[in-house]
Amino acid sequence: MKNRNSLLLIAIAILLTGTAARGQDSAPSAGAPAQASDQTPGQASDHASAATGTIPVTTHSVTAQRAYEMGMVQREDRLFVDEGLAFFREAVKADPEFALGHAALGYFTTDPKEEKQEIAFAEKFIGTASPDEQLLIRWMNGTKNGDLVPAISAMNDLLTKYPNDKRLGNMTAEWLCSNQGAFEHGEAILVRLLKNDPRYFPAMNNLAYCYAMSGQPGLAPPLMTEYVAALPNEPNPQDSYGEIMRMLGDYPAALDHYRKALQINPNFNASQVGLATTYALMGDQSKARAQYLVAIKGTKERPTQVNYRILWAMTYYRENKPILAHQAFLKVDSEAHLAGLPIQEAEIHRTVALFSPNPAVALKDLDEAREDLSETRKAKLLSGDRDAELASILQTRAFIAVSAGKTDVAEAALTLLTEMAQTSRSIPVQNSYHSANGAVLLAQGDYAGAIMELQEDAQNPLSLRLLEEAQTKAGQSADAHKTLATLAAISDERVETAFATPSARAALKNDTTQTAQGGAH
Amino acid sequence: MRNRLLIFCLLVLGVASVTFATDFAVVVNPSNPARAMTLADLGKIFRAKTTVWASGRNITIVLRDPSSPGMKFVIEKVLGGTVDEGKTILNDPSRKTTVPVVFAGSDEEVLKLVGGNAGAIGVIDVYNITGDVKVVKIDEKQPFDPGYVLKGH
Repeated sequence: MKNRNSLLLIAIAILLTGTAARGQDSAPSAGAPAQASDQTPGQASDHASAATGTIPVTTHSVTAQRAYEMGMVQREDRLFVDEGLAFFREAVKADPEFALGHAALGYFTTDPKEEKQEIAFAEKFIGTASPDEQLLIRWMNGTKNGDLVPAISAMNDLLTKYPNDKRLGNMTAEWLCSNQGAFEHGEAILVRLLKNDPRYFPAMNNLAYCYAMSGQPGLAPPLMTEYVAALPNEPNPQDSYGEIMRMLGDYPAALDHYRKALQINPNFNASQVGLATTYALMGDQSKARAQYLVAIKGTKERPTQVNYRILWAMTYYRENKPILAHQAFLKVDSEAHLAGLPIQEAEIHRTVALFSPNPAVALKDLDEAREDLSETRKAKLLSGDRDAELASILQTRAFIAVSAGKTDVAEAALTLLTEMAQTSRSIPVQNSYHSANGAVLLAQGDYAGAIMELQEDAQNPLSLRLLEEAQTKAGQSADAHKTLATLAAISDERVETAFATPSARAALKNDTTQTAQGGAH
Repeated sequence: MRNRLLIFCLLVLGVASVTFATDFAVVVNPSNPARAMTLADLGKIFRAKTTVWASGRNITIVLRDPSSPGMKFVIEKVLGGTVDEGKTILNDPSRKTTVPVVFAGSDEEVLKLVGGNAGAIGVIDVYNITGDVKVVKIDEKQPFDPGYVLKGH
């Protein structure tokens, strides 16, 4: 945790959220939350909430309450990930029965083990929380464990009761857009927030992403311009602008904004990673690796470090150096194993499999990926996280098998995915099932069926590649061309993107060249 | 930086249309003991073949405008025919004394009407549900369950 001036943070919170930070009974001491004292033991219910129209926070500890608020300021308002998590950990350390603190830590953490543990603590102590806090906990936990119907009900009840709680609106809208693809609902909340307070910048940030993701990219840059102008001394506006421009494929502009973010705050690690990934997408893998290494040093979160190491190793595949890539991934695999991160281990094996030129070896790698998620490690993970990764492994297995003409292997993977999909509400599981089913139908020559299924997973580059093939074989050349263009336009750091988009871009370029030559003749 | 890792991180640059699915929730008043029904049972209510709940309370249906894209899907799915056939069934004047149908202008209005009428049943976008209503399982499944029958496109 970097030593920051808490008064400055409060001022920034007011600027960002338009409301004073909670727990105003005594001014927080400078620096980390551990330095704040527990002056008034007893139920420190937040009296400020009634005046500001925000959800009250109840805990026996003033320190915990203050740390929770600081966690929200850092993680939710300023998007300082590590700092925010550190404050939430401080909050539950100060009050181990602080249910909302546990729920927030479980909601925001990047560590699957911590996520499972904190959700369990939140459930255990939920009885100590106020009724409205219980609704918030139900929403947070429900988004993680798949109890979406009660989660949405709780979310809407809170949004109705606290229409002026901007942080609540922003958090829920962001979840609707980014996790659920419910763009219309998310956008409605964000637009309402900005109508009530045009200077509520976290909503401006999320609305720009929501527009970009929902196929309205032209609406995003003007919001970003306003966001950057309004907060010239904050790194996140520049970082967001960089990411939006990268999504739009304007890499030089993306680099420019990421650099500006780092000029404002050299420790804003998201921009460091953004810089690295942009170089990787531009094809400059040496620079990408160097920047990834800086980003790895810039975080203390072990899962995040391993995630960045995976991106670092990926650069070798990007520059078509499979031997070096394999060596790099082996190294990262040992790091993930030592850190006790089985999902990352599985992702590493899945990545190696996808890039393997030998289908038999690739299928073995996928066996190892499944082994990483084996029974002995299950207890450490939320079933949702494990199932999502397992579904990706099986989807990749079906993809590789169909590409290699091993339909029986693809069908076996589909059988397992079908079993999972029959009992899981997880969107990633459902999408993987549709993709694998589409792959098998394509192999069986049922192109119409394959197209319908693959369109259900239209965010995944592997599915888009199969969709383009199915449409071509079905004689739908115009649709196939659109799918190819969509695939070629994807500009993100996913392994599937790194695998599938280069050939799509080459094919598209080839098509364009041939068309131009045809026109010339 | 966006706030969380994105699952839906595809940017569509105008080269393909974006379509998103939503599940429709069948909702009743929280005081209604009904927890589940089959799609066929729901069809009977829509056709006014079933007129009262097990408790003996009269049923009222509350729906959005049948011409809206979402309701077209729901009506076709529940009644099994075309949307025009469905509209004819739902607008039949004779059913006013059996199972009346109230058309609401928004999901919020559906919630208000169902929440305020112990015999009401409605259909709304699952993302609009609140604690004012209770979600009923259809064919033993609730929204987001795999194979849920009212998953729209």
